[in-house]
Amino acid sequence: MRISYKWLQNYIELKNSPKEVAEKLTSIGLEVESIEYLGKKYDGFVVGEVVEVSKHPNADRLSVCKVRLSQSTDAQQIVCGAPNVAAGQKVIVGLPGATIPKNQHDPDGKSFSLTKAKIRGIESNGMICSSYELGIGEDKNGIIVLDSSTPVGISLSQYLKLDDIVFELGITPNRPDCLSHIGVARDLAAVYGSSLKYPKVDFVEKKNFSINKIFTVKVENNDDCPRYTARVIENVTVKESPEWLKQFLSAVGLRPINNIVDITNFVMLEFGQPLHAFDFNNLAKNTIIVKRARVKEKFTTLDKKSHELNGTELMICDGDRSVAIGGVMGGMNSEISEATKTVLLESAFFSPTSVRKTAKRLGISTDASYRFERGTDPNMVDEASRRAAGLIAEIAGGEIVQGVIDVYPKVIEKIKIELRIFKVNDILGTNLSLEKINGLLQTLGIETQVKNNSLICSVPTYRPDIEQEIDLIEEVARLYGYDNIPNQTTVHSVFSQPSKIELHINEIRSWCESVGLHEVMTNSLLDEATALLYSTELIKVKNPLSVDLEVMRPMLLPTMLTAVLHNYNHGATSVRLFEIGSTFLAKHSEKTTRIQGISEYNKLGLILSGNAHDLTWYSKEREYDIFDLKGMVQSLLSKLGLDNIHLIYYDASSSLTEQTIGIEINGTYVGFLGQCSQKVLAQHKIERKVLYCELDLSVLIAVDEVRKFKEYSKFPSVKRDIAFVVKKNITAGDIETAIKESGGASVTSISLFDIFEGASIGEGNKSLAFSVTMQSREKTLTDSGIDALMKKIIASVVSTYGATLRSL
Amino acid sequence: MLTEKIKSLDSEISAIAAISTTHEDIEKYRIEFLARKGKIASLYDDLKSVPNDQKPMVGQQINRLKKKAEEVYETLKSKLDSSTAKKELVDLTLPGRMLLHGTRHPITRTIEQMKSIFVSMGFGIAYGPEIEDDYHNFEALNFAPHHPARDMQDTFFIKDDVVLRTHTTPVQIRVMKSQKPPIRVIMPGRVYRNEAVSARSNYFFHQVDGLYVNENVTFAELKGTLITFAKNFYGSNIKYRFRPSYFPFTEPSLEMDITCFLCSGKGCRICKQTGWLEILGAGMVHPNVFRNCSYDPEKVSGFAFGMGVDRISLLRYGVDDIRTFFENDIRFLNQF
Ligand SMILES: [Zn+2]
Repeated sequence: MRISYKWLQNYIELKNSPKEVAEKLTSIGLEVESIEYLGKKYDGFVVGEVVEVSKHPNADRLSVCKVRLSQSTDAQQIVCGAPNVAAGQKVIVGLPGATIPKNQHDPDGKSFSLTKAKIRGIESNGMICSSYELGIGEDKNGIIVLDSSTPVGISLSQYLKLDDIVFELGITPNRPDCLSHIGVARDLAAVYGSSLKYPKVDFVEKKNFSINKIFTVKVENNDDCPRYTARVIENVTVKESPEWLKQFLSAVGLRPINNIVDITNFVMLEFGQPLHAFDFNNLAKNTIIVKRARVKEKFTTLDKKSHELNGTELMICDGDRSVAIGGVMGGMNSEISEATKTVLLESAFFSPTSVRKTAKRLGISTDASYRFERGTDPNMVDEASRRAAGLIAEIAGGEIVQGVIDVYPKVIEKIKIELRIFKVNDILGTNLSLEKINGLLQTLGIETQVKNNSLICSVPTYRPDIEQEIDLIEEVARLYGYDNIPNQTTVHSVFSQPSKIELHINEIRSWCESVGLHEVMTNSLLDEATALLYSTELIKVKNPLSVDLEVMRPMLLPTMLTAVLHNYNHGATSVRLFEIGSTFLAKHSEKTTRIQGISEYNKLGLILSGNAHDLTWYSKEREYDIFDLKGMVQSLLSKLGLDNIHLIYYDASSSLTEQTIGIEINGTYVGFLGQCSQKVLAQHKIERKVLYCELDLSVLIAVDEVRKFKEYSKFPSVKRDIAFVVKKNITAGDIETAIKESGGASVTSISLFDIFEGASIGEGNKSLAFSVTMQSREKTLTDSGIDALMKKIIASVVSTYGATLRSL
Repeated sequence: MLTEKIKSLDSEISAIAAISTTHEDIEKYRIEFLARKGKIASLYDDLKSVPNDQKPMVGQQINRLKKKAEEVYETLKSKLDSSTAKKELVDLTLPGRMLLHGTRHPITRTIEQMKSIFVSMGFGIAYGPEIEDDYHNFEALNFAPHHPARDMQDTFFIKDDVVLRTHTTPVQIRVMKSQKPPIRVIMPGRVYRNEAVSARSNYFFHQVDGLYVNENVTFAELKGTLITFAKNFYGSNIKYRFRPSYFPFTEPSLEMDITCFLCSGKGCRICKQTGWLEILGAGMVHPNVFRNCSYDPEKVSGFAFGMGVDRISLLRYGVDDIRTFFENDIRFLNQF
């Protein structure tokens, strides 16, 4: 909302500087987002008089001028290239230091800064400007010559009447009363304790017949249109608005159109009441009927756009057809034009909800709908109409027909709210007296009655936001000043549920950092084609920003792969990433669903890709493989104190990964790790191998945050190495399990230290060498006991897998 | 006498030890005294002829001598080893064997710093879903169905009544509905707005919401809490101001600004020439919100606040395009 400082002063006397006023507005909740000094870009330009012109001695096309820049000082020497410069002219002079908005010798017309200069050896103390150079016209061929009566020495902004200052206010949706100059002035008057001056409405009803003789209004939907007024003004002349009106509208960012339309806009910006002017002669019958649109009715609005209506819209009709969408926009068919002679002036109060629904549905937002949606003052309707009619009579030469049609069957009264003084102080932490609070509210125009320790407040109808006690408490706080309310920094102790999740998530992040993974934050949305590779249970956004951001990510993998690709495209040789984030599937499950039909998961994603080692003086280059990631994940699970882990080795590859390992903890599936399939990599245009692991955080963090100490053995451990020759299809895991099972509790660890294949052990065979550590919790193991245990182990492996023992 | 012989061997060992410096010398010494047929071994043979009653005493003397001879041998050897050990030249300028280290995302870092300040003030932490229903995201927070306040937050819809949450505030409703006062929590998380992506704004970003509900919670306490946070987070000598503002779910509402730390309040592009940076919105929990959670606004009061993380992170880390955070370039991540 743009507010003109100059116009504000018509409604309130301001003794403070614009900057101070802006600060005051901000402090009462009408935030000044910026202050614009309209004439600022013309600082350093003044009106001067050319007193003498002579030829430049060194350049044919240039003149050396003497220009008087004020009544008192001597004329300055200025070199000028314009052919039309002549003595006696009043011209606009840019002084050294000023910025010329447009350079007419630059192809793009860029601005430049003026300095004192010697031009072909002659000193020049400024520049006489063309309209192009000032950005106020297109003429490049000569300087602007002003009217000879223009006083010398005035600034260009004074000359152009650009001496206004405009506040850009951020008005919150609860304050429709401040979407006007009078509204803003009213709040300022309250806080400054000064009085508000309403504009004087000059009003002569010239016609000696009543409007009721020539016109009728019928409102069919009083809920959506509680009040509708109409006035008629005859014999108007539609033309350009006077300077002051055009200047005001331009300053606050509205394009002047014609005097009638400009007046309705002016009154809207003054009172906050949107008005609409119809060409009376374009109305089919001498009547207005306010009613719902027909289903599938077509209507063309002023902006030449055609809309199909669904029957819910409130329309202004002329007996035959619709002429406006109530409170939103007028129609082409009844627009004010230069041919208009008689004006029907509408001023109404439309229900905010009704206007909003219509404006939303049709995708129209106008200055009128913006105000009606937020709530206008039903009791300001006629006042604004009178003001506009008066101005039309004055500016467009119209004659006002006697009276007004005012359909207002149920008068909207001020509401009464009880404000308890103790409640004010309880909420604010203050100790304000009844008198103080009463005084603050009265400055806002709220009438009060004292009742015990309460105030019964009558709230003006221009404040639809004040509905209950807390709204009045806010008004008290606002006017008393937030700065005057004490700052209480002592904290009451409250038991807060300590967050187990936090501890675990923090531990996981620390671990990820310590093993060299970089945390990424990737998009939650992606394109459907890519997402379909990962799941068919996708959640789609109804109104996406673009097709690339249409579905919620079903896994972290696709969006993390985008980060992998980005890094490869920017020279990375090794990409190690992790992400903690949400994934989404369209399915219902008791554990993961909080919104019907939607499951949301908290996941940890890990990625290894590219070089595990670069080539260095101590190591060869090596690419990450599945065992890097497997080891990493095992380390994480161990770090988190998780045991009872079961790994599931999948034989077949899925469409997403090959070499896939599933992970179960205590019988619950938590996720998988694997190498991304060619199909996935091709989709993401990644050329290197990518290893990925995704784990469900809700399972990882379900462990107890306090760990229990487990006693370890006090007896020495013994290590023995054994190697078996087995068929190639027997896995290391099979043998390891057999050793563990046959060895029982005494076997504390098994480590595979060599795999060998070769002719010496026979075609189709391999040798697996294990180091087996044995230890007892009860006693020192004896040589004979160990020998017996090893025999048992060997016998088991030999018989189960047809293995033969290989001597080491 | 054997005892004499032992004594003379003892001095002989000392003398030879003093002059034995080379490998050869030491080897000669070993053979002479310690070999199987050496002088000490022969003493044990001699011992056989010693009368039985003296055997233990003399035997002990021989043992002691043997021990000395062995020690001398070890000493000579180690002296020789250390004096002739090869002085290998180590090039210490070779690069060390580097360990990899990872990083936390800068947004995570900001959230963690905020969390740690609030946790120290007694706040717990709560989370909620990113896909929310209209009830939690709007209705329960006192956004009427057709109120323009809904325009303050451009919304992504999944269904007519299911949205991507536009703020972390709905978690307040979930917390209040599942717990009894007193409640003091902060609620960090990702939120979504249907806004065009640019250098200054992204369609998703992160917020930290806060809620305190108890008996007799006041606006004064809200201000005090926010000041304490701001001084901890931005520095103890910051200047701040509170402005009245509007949020449907709080009343009275405020926004807190601090002096722009890029221009020290003189006005710059970042603070739109105002000299102030908005850091958070807050207010007293609206009685309608309490009623929606079945709390009695006559018995409890409370305050709530919310702050964006991403824009603050931009300024904190001196990043000028918000998209940099989500490009996840390792050269960027590595700096945090
Ligand atoms: Zn600044």
